Amino acid sequence: MKLLAESLPDLSSGAVFLATGGGGDPHVSLLAAQQVLAEHGGVELIPVDELGDEAFVAAIGSVGAPTTSLELLPSTDDPAKALSIFEEHVGRKLDAVVSFEIGGGNSLIPLIAAAGRGIPVVDGDGMGRALPEAQMMTYPIAGIPSTPAIALDYMGNSATFSTDSTETYERHIRAMAQAMGGMITTVEHPMSGKQLKSSVVPGTVSFATEIGRILRRKRGNAQRILAPLREAFTRSLYGVPRHLFTGKVADYSSAIIGGYDIGKAVIEAFDGRGPKLEIDVKNEYLLARLDGQVAASVPDLITILDFETSTPINAERLRYGQRVTVLGIGCPAFYRSKQALARVSPQRFGFDIDYTPLENLGTRHQTP
Amino acid sequence: MLRIGIDVGGTHTDAALLQGDDVLASAKALTSRDISSGILDALDAVLRHEAGIERHIEAVMLGTTQFTNAVVERRELAEVAAVRIGLPSGRGIPPKTGWPGDISRSLGDHVYQLHGGYLYDGWPLAAPDDREIDSLIGDLKARKVAAVAIASAFSPMNPAPEKLLAGRIREALPHVRITESHSIGRLGILERENAALLNASLLDFAARVVDSFEAAVRARGLDCRFFISQNDGCLMDADFARRFPALTFASGPTNSLRGACKLTGLSEAIVVDIGGTTSDIGILRDGFPRESNIALNVGGVRTNFRMPDILSIGLGGGSLVGEDGRRVGPRSVGRELLARARIFGGDKLTATDIAVVAGQAGIGDPARLGDLDATVVSAAGAEIHRMLEAGIEQMKPGSDPLPVVLVGGGAILVREPLMAASAMLTPEHSGVANAIGAAIARIGGEAERMISCEQIPRQDAISELTLAAKRNAETAGADPASLRVADIEETAISYMPGNVVRLRVKVTGDIAQRKGGGASP
Repeated sequence: MKLLAESLPDLSSGAVFLATGGGGDPHVSLLAAQQVLAEHGGVELIPVDELGDEAFVAAIGSVGAPTTSLELLPSTDDPAKALSIFEEHVGRKLDAVVSFEIGGGNSLIPLIAAAGRGIPVVDGDGMGRALPEAQMMTYPIAGIPSTPAIALDYMGNSATFSTDSTETYERHIRAMAQAMGGMITTVEHPMSGKQLKSSVVPGTVSFATEIGRILRRKRGNAQRILAPLREAFTRSLYGVPRHLFTGKVADYSSAIIGGYDIGKAVIEAFDGRGPKLEIDVKNEYLLARLDGQVAASVPDLITILDFETSTPINAERLRYGQRVTVLGIGCPAFYRSKQALARVSPQRFGFDIDYTPLENLGTRHQTP
Repeated sequence: MLRIGIDVGGTHTDAALLQGDDVLASAKALTSRDISSGILDALDAVLRHEAGIERHIEAVMLGTTQFTNAVVERRELAEVAAVRIGLPSGRGIPPKTGWPGDISRSLGDHVYQLHGGYLYDGWPLAAPDDREIDSLIGDLKARKVAAVAIASAFSPMNPAPEKLLAGRIREALPHVRITESHSIGRLGILERENAALLNASLLDFAARVVDSFEAAVRARGLDCRFFISQNDGCLMDADFARRFPALTFASGPTNSLRGACKLTGLSEAIVVDIGGTTSDIGILRDGFPRESNIALNVGGVRTNFRMPDILSIGLGGGSLVGEDGRRVGPRSVGRELLARARIFGGDKLTATDIAVVAGQAGIGDPARLGDLDATVVSAAGAEIHRMLEAGIEQMKPGSDPLPVVLVGGGAILVREPLMAASAMLTPEHSGVANAIGAAIARIGGEAERMISCEQIPRQDAISELTLAAKRNAETAGADPASLRVADIEETAISYMPGNVVRLRVKVTGDIAQRKGGGASP
């Protein structure tokens, strides 16, 4: 299937929806992807099951502080250049590329790379949402080594990586990102088609586009968009969105701790009465508590929508006084395995609670 | 201090004469095609307050939508060379990427990308290239482009590349008008560059508009200082306005909220501006509008200017009322209220008709509504209140009631105190709240940069930025002694070790008193 420049605004807004507050503002990546796809007449989007078992695939995306790309714009030819550097490093041509994370701007980088090189991009990603660290991706969880990998900076400088574990790889790319201007493009997790099929979250590029289309066509009050969203999610790998809360942001504070944006938002009902919803943020919205009781937690998705327009709001844009609707959505089954929860459970983010799937949290949501 | 505020809107030009905190007179006139005769009409009306008063006026402040309208309507826009300094980054995403085609064409096809700029930590991205600069200047000359906008990566932290290039262009082509992006916006190169481009494109028009404003004021013997209000509730002098017309974008709602603050003396309040078609609800916090965090889009171009957080609901004086009275708006007869509302002999039942029957206003001919069922009147009245309550509840910052200030002609729709209101106020002169807001605007200044809290103590960074902001405010005409910090904004930069934050300090102060109150700046 050809993905055309015209469908990118929908993909980008669906990607912010699935980013659960993280992933950065995709505006600049969207402009870049629109240019490149228009120039190349689109990009081939290949369904996971149509990929040959012997195909050679790698994941591509940006790593670093999204805020630096407010000033330093990416170059439209950098993602394809990064692929060439990677191919030269490993001595083999890639048959396709795949995304790290569907959440935010990283949903678009693989499309720019693939279109620039004339190879297909896989319809799927390594998170099904946005998550802050490399070892939280499905690829390493399924046992695929992160390296050999390469990084490319704004000035055209590159670095190669060879590490013993994804945790070490994560440390190294963070340090490089800092030295290379705050943001780098990496090509990593080389894998066979067979390995990819065992680890990828399939169908997320087309699903994000579908969500974006609903957000555009049904734009308006967040409570009215819930029905069409539920209908779309019923046909997906995710659970069905649950309305957790509607109200206004009564308090929001954030600070940087250990290189992350750590914050807490308190949302209260419009009339100020009844229980309040508290959301813990570590780049993404990770934990929602209604009067102290868990209402949703990572790896399930917590998404905040603007109440009047249903536009998804990422954590950088969340502000005191904003009127919002909060949704909880069950994550794809992959992330509920013991192996995956060892990397992405609430404890891994420093919360002293066990993970309970959203659907088992009963009636912990605001009564409308 | 005697001052006059003037608001030049699309339909009306309003004026208000203030002595200290008191509004002595206010007037409404129709906006004229040539702008200045509308201003003269409004001015004359308030100057009639007292013979010879013009000699004692110390300042005239003017708010206007002229420049926003020019962008929206794509008129009066000059061709501009868009120059970005940031290569090798940003290849393939040149200036004006993503602009609507018509406005992009209005500015002409003059797009340039040069090497230079900095990384977030001050490390150079690339060295400036003399040959590139020379070839740019040659091109500007050949194409006879008279305006240039320059944006370089991280220029709010280090404007040297923009200043260097502007200096070189000025040296070679002294007549060219230049807007340097660091002087007009904050971090976010695309939005700052867009703002600089629109500004550069308006420079020529601004010179003419500001001249005609000044001429109108001087024509009435007002030999005082003259200011134009900008989108953050602050003022700029005429010379500054000629250089930065884009700073007037979205100043209208700001002036309306500030006017409501002045008229009531309240600094924490909900302001409901009920017009013909919509009610605009805004929040006053510490005397200033609560800002929206959504970037302001002007005529399809994304800028980094902010505007007040306003909720518009479809309820106004012209809103159509359903047969049983249970539905009001969002459709409205709008500006045709005087022809189509039943009290004025029309055939449409409007919210204004309901207010008149309920005895809330003595306008039109209530006899024309003799056959209207009382249950319809009470149902419509209840619906109007429910709509306002719901809107206010969404906007209200906390659960405690706050005073509600009603401004605009539609204030007559409100009969009972609203539940969310600790008090209800409909001040006199509220119809010209915009002009009053312009009259009381302050002088402001801003400074911002990224800092690593591990390298520079946060307090030192704030002190340094406060000084820079005060210098900016003084340049804009503020009295140094009255300057105070209005806002400190701190944004964390995620994924970066070293506690990197973006700090922005804003100061505001009173207009500097000039000895003898004489010459204009």
